[in-house]
Amino acid sequence: MNLVRKTNTYYLLFLAFIFPVMLSMDYYLIQYLVNGEVEELLLHERERIDFHLKEEGVLPTSNYLFQTVPVKEGSVFNEVFRDTVLYEAYADKNIPYRIYTFKSSINSQPVKISLKHILLEINELIWTLFVTTSFIIVLLALGFYFINRKIYKWAWNPFFKNLSKLKQYDVTKKGPIHLKSSNIIEFEELNHVITDLIHQVKKDFQNLKEFNENISHEVQTPLAIIRNKVVLLLESKNLNEKELQRMQAIYQETNKLSKIGKSLTLISRIENQEFKRLDSVDVHTIIGNILSHMEEIINFKHLTVSTELEPVTIECDHILADILLTNLIKNAVQHNKEDGVIKMVLNEEKFEIINTGEISEIATEKLFNRFQKGSSVKESLGLGLAINQKICEIYGFQLDYQRKDKIHTFSLFFKRNKE
Amino acid sequence: MKILVIEDNVELLRDIKGFLEEEGNICEIAPSYKTAHDKIGFFPYDILVVDITLPDGNGLDIISEVKKESIDAGIIIISAKNAVGDRIHGLEIGADDYLTKPFYLAELNARIKALYRRKVYNGSTEILFNEIKIKPDSHEVFIHDRILNLTKKEFDIIHFFVVNRHRLLTKEAIAEHLWGDDIEMADSYKFIYTHLANLRKKIAELGGNDYIQSIYSVGYKFTDRE
Repeated sequence: MNLVRKTNTYYLLFLAFIFPVMLSMDYYLIQYLVNGEVEELLLHERERIDFHLKEEGVLPTSNYLFQTVPVKEGSVFNEVFRDTVLYEAYADKNIPYRIYTFKSSINSQPVKISLKHILLEINELIWTLFVTTSFIIVLLALGFYFINRKIYKWAWNPFFKNLSKLKQYDVTKKGPIHLKSSNIIEFEELNHVITDLIHQVKKDFQNLKEFNENISHEVQTPLAIIRNKVVLLLESKNLNEKELQRMQAIYQETNKLSKIGKSLTLISRIENQEFKRLDSVDVHTIIGNILSHMEEIINFKHLTVSTELEPVTIECDHILADILLTNLIKNAVQHNKEDGVIKMVLNEEKFEIINTGEISEIATEKLFNRFQKGSSVKESLGLGLAINQKICEIYGFQLDYQRKDKIHTFSLFFKRNKE
Repeated sequence: MKILVIEDNVELLRDIKGFLEEEGNICEIAPSYKTAHDKIGFFPYDILVVDITLPDGNGLDIISEVKKESIDAGIIIISAKNAVGDRIHGLEIGADDYLTKPFYLAELNARIKALYRRKVYNGSTEILFNEIKIKPDSHEVFIHDRILNLTKKEFDIIHFFVVNRHRLLTKEAIAEHLWGDDIEMADSYKFIYTHLANLRKKIAELGGNDYIQSIYSVGYKFTDRE
């Protein structure tokens, strides 16, 4: 529920509550006023009648006179106002009246005189009130609605502009964010907070990025030195077998570290968008090249490779396309078993590579995480798929993995740039 | 040959210098842009090994300078930055080769020798090792002057071995030389083994000696010494 609907709902709820309150208040107020007016009128008439009786000794003609009843001397009754309903033949309906009864005397004969005055008809009153109040309520509701919409449109305009800017904001991209300023203090404050926050996030991100880059970068030279020294030690004839084994372990782990560093550098370079070129990449040819490059390994493992490749061109950096496809094919070779099968299908929509292999224990969704690897191949660093994922992110490709028993399928869906 | 290595890490410098001198080269070192600048101005070198990031300058500027002064030296860039842009730029302004750190010293040695051969002999030279003769430009190997029929990978291996004779070549260094940077497969060591087995057999068929020594499980050495 958006803001304007929410506010309007509350306004409507408020109006729904105020409606009966207004109705009943109006009803009683009007009734009170009318009765008061009627009573005043009847009292005034009584005075006139009393005066007339005293002066002339006869009842004057009065439109309000209802009844004159002679009473016994000394009988006591209250002079009261009361409501009653009288049937009027001319209108053929009951009509409400206010009756005022008081004591007087005509020629020393005590009488009870009743005066009556027509009252507003209740039904009519309620109906009229209902209609007018409803009219006012509707007017109010419409007013609220339009004012709200206006406010929503104009006053909140900078807010929504900024919101869409923030939605599109990418911390990995360079360049500051320019928020639309507003004359509303709260929004301006929000802008300040957001700008500060983004600044901080950006700084942290930048630091982290630089740290990553430096680490993976700066370790390379020390690693190279370690490696060289180890080779020197390995060449020396003074070591016994056990010591040689230890040196070898150091050597291998150093190599692994160096490769991890290189892969991480590659990932951060992809993240930094250092590969900006949009080449027309002939996927078909690249796959052919990679296969001929790996032919030796494929033959060695006695893998059967079958391909159904259509000529397909995609738009992306040539180097990244090469890395992406090499990783996929290498993966299929590396995790394959002896005498296994690789099947590749390439068409306008996707590149699919299916390979036989061992049953992997990693959950599919974790497969693309860094350093996630199947347990069987020790030399794998588990960074290849993370790199692939990064490349896919950049170009909007989609990389899916499916597993059925010992059959593994990677599907790379190209975003068709032509469309 | 005379080599100048320009690199700011002294320890790495020492390793490179040691390795290259053992190969019979004269190797001088320059740990900074300024030293490099001075040395190049005074002495002639056959090969310059240049690190791009130096504390007081950019290695690429040294290359530009060398080219401007028309100094005839082969140039190999060594850089921790594996950026394609850097590589292309370096080769454009006149470098002959590009190696990414960390590199194997054997690899650097092979590159230097290949470059030197290209520069000085226009590539038309033979590498000799006892009864083995290698013609790098035509990719031919002769044992007792009889041609050895090799696959491309076998040629690459024996070439790499002979260039780095008497040296321990780890399996990793061989794998990287043969298949490049991106191979990380356990399988590749098995291939090396297979290739070496074939190579040994072919050399033996032509009456050549087996100079390939296996050094534990670490790697191999191509040598006629004990």
